[in-house]
Amino acid sequence: MFLNVPQDEKRRKKWFQAVLRDNPKTKSNFFCCEDHFDFECSGRRKNPEEEGVAAPTEEGEASETVQERSGRCVRKPSLAEEYKQAYPEFLPDPNPKWRNSLREKLERMDMLKRRNQIDIPEFYVGSILAVTISDPHAQGKTNRFVGICIERKGCGLRAEFTLRNVVDHHGVEVRYELYDPTIQQIQVLRLEKRLDNKLFYLRDALPEYSTFPFDMEPEILPEGAPIPVNPIKVQLKKRPWLERWERQELQGVYKISKMINKKQKKNRILRREPWVKYDLMKEYRLTAGVIGWPAARRARAQYLYVKCSKAHERETEFKFVTCPNTLGSVGHAVRRAVA
Amino acid sequence: MTSTSPLANVQINFNAEWNPRTRRVGVIARKIGNYPIWLKNGKKVQTTLLQVIDNHVIKYIPPEEFKPMLIRKPNWREKRTLGCLLVGAETIDPSTVTKDYCGLFNATGMLPKRYLCRFMITPNAALPPGTPLLATHYRVGDYLDIRAKTIDRGFQGVMKRWGFKGMPASHGVTKTHRRPGNIGSGGGKARVWPGTKMPGHMGNSTKAGSKIEIAGSEIEWKFATRIEIENENKMKKIKCVIKIRISEGKKMQTDTSTRVWRTLRGVKILRIDTKHNVLWTLGVAIPGETGAMCYLFDTVLPLRRHKEPPPFPTHPPSADLPIEYIHESVHDFSDPTITFEDN
Repeated sequence: MFLNVPQDEKRRKKWFQAVLRDNPKTKSNFFCCEDHFDFECSGRRKNPEEEGVAAPTEEGEASETVQERSGRCVRKPSLAEEYKQAYPEFLPDPNPKWRNSLREKLERMDMLKRRNQIDIPEFYVGSILAVTISDPHAQGKTNRFVGICIERKGCGLRAEFTLRNVVDHHGVEVRYELYDPTIQQIQVLRLEKRLDNKLFYLRDALPEYSTFPFDMEPEILPEGAPIPVNPIKVQLKKRPWLERWERQELQGVYKISKMINKKQKKNRILRREPWVKYDLMKEYRLTAGVIGWPAARRARAQYLYVKCSKAHERETEFKFVTCPNTLGSVGHAVRRAVA
Repeated sequence: MTSTSPLANVQINFNAEWNPRTRRVGVIARKIGNYPIWLKNGKKVQTTLLQVIDNHVIKYIPPEEFKPMLIRKPNWREKRTLGCLLVGAETIDPSTVTKDYCGLFNATGMLPKRYLCRFMITPNAALPPGTPLLATHYRVGDYLDIRAKTIDRGFQGVMKRWGFKGMPASHGVTKTHRRPGNIGSGGGKARVWPGTKMPGHMGNSTKAGSKIEIAGSEIEWKFATRIEIENENKMKKIKCVIKIRISEGKKMQTDTSTRVWRTLRGVKILRIDTKHNVLWTLGVAIPGETGAMCYLFDTVLPLRRHKEPPPFPTHPPSADLPIEYIHESVHDFSDPTITFEDN
């Protein structure tokens, strides 16, 4: 990601001082590489006056300053970033056509009212939950189901999640509304994440991967511990599958390339879209900054870091780096600035 | 220029008698979105939220003075019994509109409004200019007729626009999967009959000249009217021809194929927020996208119209109202979890 150097003269001057460059007299757009900004350090963006900017520099000093700073400040993920992950349904709708601030306010008030009645815990796709729900048709008028959360979706009061379990050799999936007032209790039995955002491939996996006993004891994490990521790789059944899992770049599937034939391998490579993870706007439009955003940003920062460090190695003059898949206008402006 | 604002002492006649033949004024609202709520029996229902924005009565025209410029041929046997109440919504900066448009509001001493609507009412439901209309004009459990402009879907084919079946996807069909097929015969009538269902613009059309821009505000017209505006000192009369949509009671002379306006009848109110003036209505079929303006009327459906007197002529503005009214069948989110009894 690139940051726009401000047009305001005073601020512009400070920016250029910070990046050890002469202030060009032109008014054209300049960009700074994101990698040299310390977002998490203070939790604030684009504030070079107060934080001081490390800069895209030509000299070897740059790496020193970066190292110094990284030693000085502890990189903590901001609270807002954490809440985005933990309570994604509070974020606005990804579709801007459906947004309205008053409606969102009323909706959030209703959500909080419901949260005063029952404890809706923090959980993720991959966590194992037990949900107790009032059911007029069940014996004793309640129903309890245990399963792994394979999907979370929707925002506001229409947030929902799906639990999967294998009961008597039958795969069972139940979709619950998070704010349904007939839900009596949501209990997190095991709080963890998986390597993927959706675990639909468990439908084609061996049943032991989605079998969980109904009398499972809740496992309690020590306070303040980070959410563990379960790196388990799931063994899929033989084809035919419900979906073309091989095309979905899944992390949590064991050796999927050994289960497909030559033609499928060829098609998989043909349909690969390695640029999509750099398409920040696409990511943003789909999620309104919910799930994919930090991951995409991390990937992008890593990409830029590699690129920058290569530039340092070659001892070439570091110019503003361009990414092949940034927005066209940015790339264009950068090129102009360099020229 | 010594006139005082009539807003200072708005006197509403609350002694007026309501009877089943009475027609009350409606309100102008904005559709602000949808979200689900749950009933006490555990069933989920979708609701549409309508915000009554800053509604004020602008002017009352009694039946004998109300002479709309009709497009259709007047029926002389018809006796005019309905008066007209001009209601405005959403105050705007007077410098953004023309002087003539501001003149409409001078008599009431109000700032100009962005949206105007004429409601046809019986004379006993008349309200003085400057009366605010709030969400409490309705009660939970009441039924509404909601009129609004449909979503603009652009140029559409016959399958989407008219629900034609199209043609098969396979079995030798080539290039005619979504096409209308035959549109008429040859012989003596070798032409396309008027009114044939064809592809075209669907929804929210401006094609028929149904929307004009007056002084920065969009006022839709179907019938034009001449309103005489008296300015404050009544020295001179500005004659302003302003075309305002007649909201109810008249059959629209529109090209029905464009389906610009649509009325959804008999929509139930489930919940009312008196603080933000929001109505929760059952269902999601209210025409228009989020942010569209809607015109709300008491329903005309015989089985759902008022049996008992509603707030008449309107609910008096008062400070000590409960923040929310919730229908008895609806679960309040601050209530405990729904459980079912064993019986």
